[in-house]
Amino acid sequence: GDSWGIFTFLCAALCNLPALPALNCSEELGAGQSIQQTYDLTRYLEHQLRTLAGTYLNYLGPPFNEPDFNPPRLARAERVPSATVDLDLWRGLTDNARLAANYRAYSRLLCYLRVLDGQVGTAELRHRLAHFCASLQGLVLSIGGVMSSLGYPLPAGPAAPPARPPRAPAAPNDFLKKMDDFWLLKELQTWLWRSAKDFNRLKKKVPPAVVTLRLEARGF
Amino acid sequence: PFPPLLSVSPAADPAVISPQDPTLLIGSSLVATCTVSPDFPLKAEDLYWTLNGRRLPAASYAALGPSTLSVALARLNGSRQQSGDNLVCHSRDGGILAGSCLYVGLPPEKPVNITCWSKNMKDLTCKWAPGTEGETFLHTNYTLKYKRRWYGQDNTCQEYHTAGTYSCHIPKDLALFTPYEIWVEASNRLGVAVSDVVMLDILDVVTTDPPSDVHVSRVGDLEDQLSVRWSSPPALKDFLFQAKYQIQYRVEDSSEWKVVDDVGNQTSCRLAGLRPGTVYFVQVRCNPFSIYGSKKAGIWSDWSNPTAASTPRSERVAGGCDPKGGEQNTTLRRELKQFFGWVKKHAYGCSNLGIKLYDQWRVWLQKSHKTRNQV
Repeated sequence: GDSWGIFTFLCAALCNLPALPALNCSEELGAGQSIQQTYDLTRYLEHQLRTLAGTYLNYLGPPFNEPDFNPPRLARAERVPSATVDLDLWRGLTDNARLAANYRAYSRLLCYLRVLDGQVGTAELRHRLAHFCASLQGLVLSIGGVMSSLGYPLPAGPAAPPARPPRAPAAPNDFLKKMDDFWLLKELQTWLWRSAKDFNRLKKKVPPAVVTLRLEARGF
Repeated sequence: PFPPLLSVSPAADPAVISPQDPTLLIGSSLVATCTVSPDFPLKAEDLYWTLNGRRLPAASYAALGPSTLSVALARLNGSRQQSGDNLVCHSRDGGILAGSCLYVGLPPEKPVNITCWSKNMKDLTCKWAPGTEGETFLHTNYTLKYKRRWYGQDNTCQEYHTAGTYSCHIPKDLALFTPYEIWVEASNRLGVAVSDVVMLDILDVVTTDPPSDVHVSRVGDLEDQLSVRWSSPPALKDFLFQAKYQIQYRVEDSSEWKVVDDVGNQTSCRLAGLRPGTVYFVQVRCNPFSIYGSKKAGIWSDWSNPTAASTPRSERVAGGCDPKGGEQNTTLRRELKQFFGWVKKHAYGCSNLGIKLYDQWRVWLQKSHKTRNQV
């Protein structure tokens, strides 16, 4: 449930603190556990996002909260990194590129979500958004931790997302802003769905013994 | 596995709606127009409107030009959501060409019932209620402002929602012995409303922490009493004030509190008239009135965390009490007491012999009698 997810998230955040020298001794084991924890985090966030998106889309009002809503994606709204990618391209990604894409995407998404937090109307929404941003921050840290434990450099740019997002043109009217918000949530959903597949793939690179143990423990 | 790449529309907006994101009073009417961009091969007859996802009747449409369609909305209701009603212009196949958010509501009402309190004279927290209507359908911003009377400069409170939705906390830079003017401004897209001004001196609205170290203990063997002791709140120890205390207590499985009101300035009190062998929950609170000689009442603190204690229950022997035997015992006991008194005076040694020893023997006798009966 929720408390298990929070526990996993905390473990992930804590395990990836660079200050702990003990992790260097058993890097392979450390990476395996980190990958599993990152995978678990994405599933937890996926679950959290369902509630957040539901509340937020209700706040935007119909037609945004209708299940089949699919508005045009205007060119000006390309600021949000897209999760969708050619299948062969995706399969061929190196571990480094795969992790880096995830790291960059969530760092950007976190920025935009934080801006949203400042503008949104109701107290309940602000509270949910703040909670989600904290969890998402944990995911970024977790991915960074996996990259470090595998010896990959973190993608260029600030390690922690800057307070202000890279200046994309602000929506010229309130309706277009609602559409931007809708697409932000949609991309977040798609990314979390894709990340689960990314980390599943990465898990296979880890010594099987570790993975098997974990699966048995979880009753799969 | 992955959804197909989404088609991206050309750079220019397909259509323009006017008015864009208007603010309107409830009950007003509106005529909106949708003009298709010249790059798009759409005509007025290819368009339709929806409001919050529901299609608007064609009877309310009018073509104002080859690529401009208008819609007439009459007697608008308050916005369905505070983010604005979604008025959308569609092409025949359902695609969205443009949208406009309608903010329909009422101007705010004067906020009312401003009450404030200061914790240990260090800060000030105020809360208020929105005006009687409450529902304006528009997002309403509240700003609490305050200034020292006769000093001119307005200050704005920054920390909101500390004691509920309509509250604000002023953490520092407050002066004592001077009246403050406090008011709340409510504003939304349709206007501003200002509450009445409340005037107060910080010293008149002081509250404090609940008393610390609340101890509840038995009073010897008394079955119907408990003794309550506490410390006066440490935060106010340096200040000149009188404290009033109140105690409330209840039986463990009841929700009815009994209040002891006339505790005055003491830090201890004895509860009487209680049930024997019962667990009681006790709480204490403090009112720091007359701080620095202020005439006002002061504000009661929160109740202390409940402390539990139980009244004793006397032991009754299962073997039954024989009244006659009891009487005999009393006479015997009296005689024995006299005997022991004489022994003490005239005999040396055996100084442990006394009525107390006899009583202990009686207790031992009862206990072993009881155990024998139980076996």
